[in-house]
Amino acid sequence: MKLCEFIRPTSLSEARDKLRELGPQGMALAGGTALHFLQDQTTRRAVDITRLGLSFIRKEGDFYVVGATTPLADIQRYRAPDWTLHEVCRRIATHQVRNISTIGGNICRVFPWADLPVVLLALDARMVVFSDKEEEIVSDEFFDGQPTQRFADGSLLTAVKVPLLRAHQGFGVVKVSRNSAAFSLVTMAVSLELDGEVIKTVRVAAGGAVPFPRRLPTVEAALVGREAKSEVFREAATKADSDVSWRGRESLSPDYVRQLAEVSLHDALERAVSFARARNA
Amino acid sequence: MNQYPMTVSFTLNGEKRTFATAPGENLLDLLRRSGLRGTKFGCGQGTCGACTVLLDGRAVNACLLFVGQVEGREVCTIESVGSFDKSSEIQQELIDGSAVQCGYCIPGIVMSATALMKAETKYDDEIVREYMDGNICRCTGYEKIWGALRRVLDRREASLAKVEGSGSKS
Repeated sequence: MKLCEFIRPTSLSEARDKLRELGPQGMALAGGTALHFLQDQTTRRAVDITRLGLSFIRKEGDFYVVGATTPLADIQRYRAPDWTLHEVCRRIATHQVRNISTIGGNICRVFPWADLPVVLLALDARMVVFSDKEEEIVSDEFFDGQPTQRFADGSLLTAVKVPLLRAHQGFGVVKVSRNSAAFSLVTMAVSLELDGEVIKTVRVAAGGAVPFPRRLPTVEAALVGREAKSEVFREAATKADSDVSWRGRESLSPDYVRQLAEVSLHDALERAVSFARARNA
Repeated sequence: MNQYPMTVSFTLNGEKRTFATAPGENLLDLLRRSGLRGTKFGCGQGTCGACTVLLDGRAVNACLLFVGQVEGREVCTIESVGSFDKSSEIQQELIDGSAVQCGYCIPGIVMSATALMKAETKYDDEIVREYMDGNICRCTGYEKIWGALRRVLDRREASLAKVEGSGSKS
């Protein structure tokens, strides 16, 4: 990626207008870490959106609202009893990259190995997009295809709304990578609600070894109404094959990745259930 | 055609500076062509940490920042930490502990450790690993680097606890 202009708007509407005016030549820039190693040699004009007051984390009603340009390091360090995003952010890239990369950058242009789309799909997050007005988009719709298309008209992601976990709800995520800084081989995320020891509702999402992060509806169907125990998780994990085709990565065969994904999914379910039980204790 | 058609101003090692630059230039290239060669080019994609500098006190990869992103901000490089004549505590401990082999990664390691010491007051292994997870050394196997870091951080933690303890008595 080559830059031929660096523009610093002073308001959100100015940024939107500038991006509209520039059309395909324009590009909203937050952390920008991925741009330095993209092979794409297109020349673009960068519109810096990091100084528009979009870096924050706050509790509003039934949501945590995370500003689009909030660095991953801030999300990782934030703590609250029902805060769910710190664990996965700690596992993204390196300390230095987490200080630059933003939540918006991780989800507006989705790379197959991106972790936050998986987590936000499982958590049923809402993405706040500013165009002529502000619009909330549910995660299933936002990640139904590459989100960059949504921003071609100068629209901007301003925040991500993560639902607060209620009593009886839990969340778990498991990421497997070769080393701490490596891209994900498999990322599995689960949010669920227990009714006693029975799984009342569940959302399961997968990333890493799949072409694009997505939910696993067959796995979800195999879990709802069942007892929250290891045998059930193991059986449900084998159904993931119906929802995704696993890809071989970094010299690992697709079959090995499938097994890795099933074990990771099982562990993510265990974590989500432990989380829910601990909150109810 | 002007190679550097725009300017950028920021505080560099405590001094306000303005540089002619290009929109696509990264901070690492600007620092090195300006004579600050302590910050190293390693991988150019934010993996190795050889180019680590502090941006507003936080460790970042200079290779991953467009110069425009640091406008008005504060950048500290290895040159602000110590020199051959006057090394910092962490640099001296790395030398004394024979933790430096080829030395290419060391400026980045020192900068990550500096960020850790600026931001934190407790240095358990988990937080040290977190701050240092973006610095690769291909010579030493990390043992001696870790040992040197631990000695400095243990001393610092003890000294901070002493100050805290003496404050609570008064």
